[in-house]
Amino acid sequence: MSEDQGTPPPTERGRGRQREPRGGYLGIGTASGALVLYILYLWATIRDGPPPWPNSIFAGPAAFVPVAVYLGVAVVLAIEPRTSRTGAGMLIGLGIFTLLGGGLCVGALVQAGR
Amino acid sequence: MIGLPFAGNGLVHAGLVGLGIGAALLFYAYEKRRRGLTDPRLWPIAGFAVAFGAIGSRVLTWDVFRQVSLADWWGNGDRSILAGLVGAWFGVHLGKRLTGYRESTGDLLAPAVALALVIGRVGCLLTELPGTPTGGSWGIVLTPAQAALTGAPAGVALHPSFAYEIFFHLAAFALMWRFRDRLPHPGDLFICFVSAYAVFRFFVEFVRGNEVLWLGMSRPQWFLLAVLPLLVWRTWRMFGTPLRREVEGTSA
Repeated sequence: MSEDQGTPPPTERGRGRQREPRGGYLGIGTASGALVLYILYLWATIRDGPPPWPNSIFAGPAAFVPVAVYLGVAVVLAIEPRTSRTGAGMLIGLGIFTLLGGGLCVGALVQAGR
Repeated sequence: MIGLPFAGNGLVHAGLVGLGIGAALLFYAYEKRRRGLTDPRLWPIAGFAVAFGAIGSRVLTWDVFRQVSLADWWGNGDRSILAGLVGAWFGVHLGKRLTGYRESTGDLLAPAVALALVIGRVGCLLTELPGTPTGGSWGIVLTPAQAALTGAPAGVALHPSFAYEIFFHLAAFALMWRFRDRLPHPGDLFICFVSAYAVFRFFVEFVRGNEVLWLGMSRPQWFLLAVLPLLVWRTWRMFGTPLRREVEGTSA
């Protein structure tokens, strides 16, 4: 892989203000990554109708295959200099989806209180 | 009486957690720029921290004894800041290893984490069980409906434990802002922050109202008891080494 064509080798020595190599798009990676995961989540939970969890793919280990694939792609993009920002955005998107998406801890709290 | 205006409202909680993450990333970008750090690997490392912090906060709290599948837990289970910090720590190290970045990133990340926790904990303060009963006038008193949602007693003043934590993180952020360029070694800021938070969190757990696991202490307290010696050793090494050299230099 000729991975260094688009980006100069990274150095930390220079502390002066330099133009940062782009290596992709952080915002686009974050937004599209979170969007893909939300669409996947909604598709998996809504398609079988209520109750969603027991019948959906989220009921078993298969639930994590798409997330694992997504994570793998994001990691590969993040360590590749030409796409590092896109990969970083996808990782941030995964974090946002995981923390905010799906069921929330407050939801569990509500259920526990009933 | 303060009350709990959004008891059990997941949307409010999630919104504030999202704001916290956004603020932390903006601060990270600002601080990176201020320090003149242009290395393209720093964003992937931040991404690893956020992703693995989130995964850790879910997976590491998974209680197999409750007979809940990991998939259900992922969707509906608890999240924990301590587990999230462990996951983020792992993520940063994995990111640095994979990208070959060798410099310390702790000083860059620590104030951003504190800022995220200030905002995220506001979400907890507005929606979750505040704490154990207190005789103080500053306590949060829940209505019967709010108490039913959170599993707390109604009409009793409860410790606003999340407010205590918000004040801690605000103070930590202010101190880190003040001393961010003054500590001798790279990464010291992060060690100071995490160690102080571990001690603070251990004590605030006594009024948090979390489930007691054993000997009057909750799960987070047992976890903290396990990691505190490591943090004390790390802090001692940080502050102790130059002091020891000075003492040796004086006596020589």
